[in-house]
Amino acid sequence: MLYISRPFTSIITYLNRNIHTSKIQCEIQKQTRLRVVDNSEIGKRAMAEGRPPKCIHVYNKTGVGRLGDKVLVAIKGEKKKGVLVGLKQNQKVKVPKFDSNNLVLIDDNGTPLGTRIHVPIPTVLRTILKEKTIAKGTDYTKLLGIASKFV
Amino acid sequence: MALSQIIKQPTMKLLEEKFLALSIQSCSAIQSRNKQVAPQPRLRNPTWLTKKNRVIHDDFLTADNAQFVQEVIKDRYDVPPKVELPKNTVEWTPKLKRTGVIARKIGELPLWLKTGKKISTTLLQVLDNHVIKYFTPEEYDPPRKRPTRIKNKAGCLLLGAEATDPTYLTKEYCMLFKNSGVIPKKHLARFFISPDAALPPGTPITAQHFSVGNYVDVRGLTKYRGFQGVMKRHGFKGMPASHGVTKTHRRGGNIGGGGEKGRVWPGTKMPGHMGNRYRFAKGLKIWRINTKLNVLWVSGIAVPGATNSLVYIYDTNLPRRKPSNPLAFPTYFGLGDAVAEEDIYEESLHRFSDPTIVFQKE
Amino acid sequence: MLVSTIRHFKAVNYHARILRTFSSQIKGQSSRSDTSKSLSELRNVYVEFLPDPTVEFRNPIREKLERLDMLARRGQIDIPEFYVGSILAVTASDPHSLGKTNRFVGICIKREGCGLRAKFILRNVIDHQGVEVLYEMYDPALQKVEVLRLEKRLDDKLLYLRDALPEYSTFDPDMEIEVLPEGSRVPVNPLKVILKPKPWLERWERQNLRGVQEFEISERDKRRADKVATPWLKYDLMKNYMNTIPEEEQNEIFSEIHEQLQQLELTRKKLKRKRSFVKPFKLG
Repeated sequence: MLYISRPFTSIITYLNRNIHTSKIQCEIQKQTRLRVVDNSEIGKRAMAEGRPPKCIHVYNKTGVGRLGDKVLVAIKGEKKKGVLVGLKQNQKVKVPKFDSNNLVLIDDNGTPLGTRIHVPIPTVLRTILKEKTIAKGTDYTKLLGIASKFV
Repeated sequence: MALSQIIKQPTMKLLEEKFLALSIQSCSAIQSRNKQVAPQPRLRNPTWLTKKNRVIHDDFLTADNAQFVQEVIKDRYDVPPKVELPKNTVEWTPKLKRTGVIARKIGELPLWLKTGKKISTTLLQVLDNHVIKYFTPEEYDPPRKRPTRIKNKAGCLLLGAEATDPTYLTKEYCMLFKNSGVIPKKHLARFFISPDAALPPGTPITAQHFSVGNYVDVRGLTKYRGFQGVMKRHGFKGMPASHGVTKTHRRGGNIGGGGEKGRVWPGTKMPGHMGNRYRFAKGLKIWRINTKLNVLWVSGIAVPGATNSLVYIYDTNLPRRKPSNPLAFPTYFGLGDAVAEEDIYEESLHRFSDPTIVFQKE
Repeated sequence: MLVSTIRHFKAVNYHARILRTFSSQIKGQSSRSDTSKSLSELRNVYVEFLPDPTVEFRNPIREKLERLDMLARRGQIDIPEFYVGSILAVTASDPHSLGKTNRFVGICIKREGCGLRAKFILRNVIDHQGVEVLYEMYDPALQKVEVLRLEKRLDDKLLYLRDALPEYSTFDPDMEIEVLPEGSRVPVNPLKVILKPKPWLERWERQNLRGVQEFEISERDKRRADKVATPWLKYDLMKNYMNTIPEEEQNEIFSEIHEQLQQLELTRKKLKRKRSFVKPFKLG
């Protein structure tokens, strides 16, 4: 292969400094940048500004976010809750793995802030979110209704 | 012409007596000079154990003679010994202990359940097991004495596996197999059994000794890893790679307190030899049995030992995994004329020849 | 501009395919239509029938039982010939989806494992979102594996598509099956993809990729890549021997399962003929 060496390496280092390099497992933990994939106003603006939300808490015992886990994110100076609907991490057989860590913002009752999810979401979420929903508690299955496509 | 006819009878008998004196009854009375309750058990190998690095000397046999020896072996061992099955068999009860088997760990494969779930299994091939001898509880006199008082005395069943050419073995070792009529085997193992589970010498034991859905304990020699540090041997965390740490990245750290307890307590986890010990993997479920090749699929991939190493399979002694249905007791003798299925599966297991799993809509 | 380049590549690919077809016809080489495949062909088509070459894990009885199970499964589902770079559609039973089945179309970017553990990864870009799914070849929940476009690429693994422009891994889920002319060889797509600028998931400059266009790289990275390069490894005959199954053993394995494989091929052919009869091609 032929390499073209570039004299202005400073540009690359500048770019490198700006990107987020998490662990090789691509685990979602505190300080991980996520991608909002619904059309909520706050999410859209945050993504458009290039200031994606940052995970500040994972609501489970391990502190590592898995598919369908609830997380607390810092987005545009506010604290919002969201559900992970697609992960970069290697998944089990027949469970899709995505190129980005996708998040859908919800409120405390589990109602999504947006009205549509514009990327495909895994079908396993149906089962996972059903299991997580407690009667008279937070109803996570509401976000399945706004999904546009399942993989 | 049989081998026994060639060798003079008195010599044979003499040897046999000598051997018996050596191996089984040789353990003389335990000397107790001090007022010890339990004398230190003396570990030693049985006298008939062949040394591993034995040089096989050239016998200077002519080709004719070598062929003749092979013929004699064939004459002697080609027909399997006729075994008289025990007549008054007892019905199996959970208190009874059956014999185990000698097997070989041959690898690991996945299997799928009917629900679509994948399970990993280890394949154990039951070798050509034959009963060599049975020692009644009174007869059995091991070289290593057990100090504890045993309430229900168990008999000992000697099993052999993997037939081999007797010309490569010592006379003493071959003599062990004389009464059973079984061709000398490479491997021997003893199994402690209830006297009711005794089997006559020469009885073959197959994979169907066990049945699908039951649980077994598997004993094997773990892989030898040599002298290992605490990180590998006990899974310690080690110490940081940087931040001022020098020369203590994989060390154990503190091994005890001071003051009154100012010593290293027994059982402290420290570096040392790892592996090359007999260990049990208990309560493994049998998922599938191949009756043609005598292979068992047992759950899990944690069977001790490397692939192609010997393991010993026992009925489990875990109280909650005892079988509910009666087992083949004392062992499986075949179903008369009916031929057993080649592959016996556990009910919840998906067979590879079954159609694709389809989930029903609610 | 990019779309046009892709079109261009597609055209190149098409021409290459035609050329290959002609050349194979002229030379009269062993063709895929021939039911009795030669060893080298079997070795390529049924790669996963060759066991793991690691010496300490091998056992002839285990391998035999494994092959029997694989053949039994292949009697139930048609797993066609495919390679890294082929475009596949996999229909699997899925208890989570509403219809209880799930179909995924994508390009095969990796094949790994042998025996019952064989698996492959499909990749596609759906709604501008890269999606990858890992499938096991002998998973009894797979209902159907279709090869929509049978072709090879220049590399053994296409993991670099994760860092390439999304156009290169975008495929229409409603794609039609592209039928290769009878007797043609599997075409090699000489497409060279354009990588996105750094940061990358892996250090592609170290992997000696052939299916990637020249990319810009800093002097430092180049130096480091040269430092860790091991161009002499391909001359290590012993290592190559230990990492492969010797030809004699391959012969043994395939002569044992040859008949069953042939039966499977015949049934597949019959099915294919039936299908082509039901849906005849339009002429003109």
